[in-house]
Amino acid sequence: MKPILEVCHLTKHFEGLVAVDDVSFELAEGEILGLIGPNGAGKTTLVSLISGTLEPSDGKVLFQGTRIGHLPAFRRARLGIGRTFQLMKPFPGLDVLDNVAIAALFGTGGGQRRLGRAREEAAYWLEFVDLGHRARYRADDLGGPDRKRLELAKALAMKPRLLLLDEVMAGLNHAEIDEVVAIIKKVRSRGITILVIEHVMKAIQSLSDRLLVLHHGQRIAEGPPDGVLNDPQVIEAYLGRRHA
Amino acid sequence: MRPLGWAASTAVLAVLASVPWIASPTLIQFGITTLLLATVAQAWNIVGGYAGYASFGNSVFYGLGSYGTAIAMVQLNLPFGVGLALGAALAMLFALLLGLPVLRLRGHYFAIATLALALAMTGIVSNLEIAGRNTGLVLPLLKGDALFYELALGLLALVTLTVIWISRSRFGFGLIAIREDEDAAAVMGVNTTLFKAAAFTLAGFFTALAGGIHAYWITFIDPVSAFDITLNVKMIIMAIFGGAGSVLGPLVGALLLASISEVLTTEVSTAASLFYGLVIVVAVVFMPRGLVNVVRHFKRLGWRYFSENLRSHRL
Amino acid sequence: MALLLQVLANGILLGGLYALMALGLALVWGVLNIVNLAHGAFIMLGAYASYYLFTLLHLDPFAALPLCMLALFLFGYLLQRHVLNLIVRAPMFNTLLVTFGLDVVLTYLAQIVFSADFRVVNPGYAGANFALAGVTLPLVRALAFAVALVLTFALWLLLAHTRLGRAVRACAHNLVAARLYGVEPRTVYALTFGLGAALAGAAGDLYGVVSQFNPYIGDALTAKSFAISIIGGLENPLGVVVGGLFLGILESLTSLYVGPTYTDVASFGVLVLVLIVRPKGLLGRAT
Repeated sequence: MKPILEVCHLTKHFEGLVAVDDVSFELAEGEILGLIGPNGAGKTTLVSLISGTLEPSDGKVLFQGTRIGHLPAFRRARLGIGRTFQLMKPFPGLDVLDNVAIAALFGTGGGQRRLGRAREEAAYWLEFVDLGHRARYRADDLGGPDRKRLELAKALAMKPRLLLLDEVMAGLNHAEIDEVVAIIKKVRSRGITILVIEHVMKAIQSLSDRLLVLHHGQRIAEGPPDGVLNDPQVIEAYLGRRHA
Repeated sequence: MRPLGWAASTAVLAVLASVPWIASPTLIQFGITTLLLATVAQAWNIVGGYAGYASFGNSVFYGLGSYGTAIAMVQLNLPFGVGLALGAALAMLFALLLGLPVLRLRGHYFAIATLALALAMTGIVSNLEIAGRNTGLVLPLLKGDALFYELALGLLALVTLTVIWISRSRFGFGLIAIREDEDAAAVMGVNTTLFKAAAFTLAGFFTALAGGIHAYWITFIDPVSAFDITLNVKMIIMAIFGGAGSVLGPLVGALLLASISEVLTTEVSTAASLFYGLVIVVAVVFMPRGLVNVVRHFKRLGWRYFSENLRSHRL
Repeated sequence: MALLLQVLANGILLGGLYALMALGLALVWGVLNIVNLAHGAFIMLGAYASYYLFTLLHLDPFAALPLCMLALFLFGYLLQRHVLNLIVRAPMFNTLLVTFGLDVVLTYLAQIVFSADFRVVNPGYAGANFALAGVTLPLVRALAFAVALVLTFALWLLLAHTRLGRAVRACAHNLVAARLYGVEPRTVYALTFGLGAALAGAAGDLYGVVSQFNPYIGDALTAKSFAISIIGGLENPLGVVVGGLFLGILESLTSLYVGPTYTDVASFGVLVLVLIVRPKGLLGRAT
């Protein structure tokens, strides 16, 4: 089976700083890949390179076999790549339902044409993430955990084939984390491939089929969670030389 | 809009259309000016209100519409309709050619660029022979304000219908997404470049038509009056004061402000501009989302609406 | 060749004045993130201040410079403290609109009070020239150029080496941290804006000596100040010198080779081009 995502020697420079350094990996369809690493390792940058928010300095990105490195963000969205933002970006002036409806209007394949249908789909996805009861709230009136759900609903309403999640669990308590993990597993059961950036170790361990570890922009480990988390290099990256 | 809304709007339209037969000549003239102002404010609303790209230079389109019409009628002896079409075409061409690069700029850079374009155009046109240089052009006289009134009303109805369509279409929601968060919109699949250009071109189209009608009505244009910079002032203030990003906002803003300004300043036109300037300062400080938004929230918040705005924005 | 040199010299002299004009705008924009569309109106007010000091009190415009600056400083300080501080944390668009409204108010107030007639400040030595390296330099323009450069460097020194300068820069970077260090942002903002207005006043004072003016010069001068700030880049206060010289020489050359009526078009055209091609300006880092 051809992998849904292939990243080959991807590199990103920023004025003398190398944020992503020669990173290569593949994602099989229906997989959940956890992307971990200390702060500043380049995880969000990597996701931005895949979603099109940033252009690579070098390397290739292939989605379903097609090169997408030169495509603008909206074209990649139409192909089926959806993402959430670490700094959540709800559309503040709109209510929750319309926030998601916009995603339904524009997602994979160009989305819905009719506003009415888009709103119906939006309602569906809000229920899916358990936010249906807040459909008519103004988006910027939502609290932290609800904002995370909104981000998720928006990404899902795009009907993506590949979902890039950037720290959707930061700041949540244990119960909320379990809920989000359950939602993500529900999403995967629909055949959507997921790449998750997370710091919450417990969650990422239980979710991921594989883990990919970045440090200073470089890939330092990849494989099943147990192996990776016991890898001395990984431990050293997180905790420093003494603990390895 | 529910059926009641359509019925009410049609009634209002019918009443407005009958004005030339029941009102005094002065009132009709005021009507024409106000209708044209409301049109350009509503057109600005498309790019400034819905897309969130505040153009400080839409007067360029007005001027292009005026000059397109004038040149067609005076230099090329073409009928008014063709003149209007030429003016509109010029404006749309300008919107695409210069709009595309300029729309890549964000926020205040875009505002400055459009302001600079407006100032530059005045200078360019005043050097063109075909446009009559600084002396301008004199158009043929068509007697009968009633016709111009109905034309202006028709144009306003057209642009308002367009905005109504925008407010409930995929295109419109794309614009709103761009306004609220352009990066998030792009990542969601909105072709931001195309949509912004389309909004800018639409705004240009209607503004140019207003300029063309105005030119034929007053029968004389020169670079300063056609590319009237104060027009930018008025259209932006009217749209903002009434409520940018809403359908009724520019209409309410135009009607209210034009009426007040007319009442306050029967003689001195500078006092009118002064008035507009003060309005915008006060409005932006206390009610930045416009009158329409105030009306919507006043019942719930009362006077606290204004103090809330102040508190969240002050240093 | 001699003509070209003369034109270049004129351009350079004009450029110095332009740099001063843009300085106040660049300061307020770069530091406070306030885009002041009324900046040109402040310059216009400075010109009128110097005009009336000259006509009524027979005060030489160069001697009147400190007074003009002080008057505009107070005006700017009060404006920021009581009006603009109210919208500092609002979206940038609101600032544009409020300063836009202020520009309109100031322009039309000026028209009502001063009338639309063109004025100029004509001290006795207004027509004097002197020769330098083969070109003829008008005395007033050369003096204006010198004063402009002195003020520009003085501001640069102020920002870089004084406590006030450091406080201003602190506010620009981080309001919360600045507060923690005992800096009161409201006052610093007001002082900075006042400083920007004072510089505009100085530019206006000098402008009134080298060119005629009326209440409506504001918009064009604002646009040119933007052009200069953007061309020179906002990162470095000395950028306005580069931008100013560039624009001055450009206008001078345009006037000679294309036509005097095209100078404004050239300036605004360049502004649009620079915005499109390289918004960070000639000195800024490439995007």
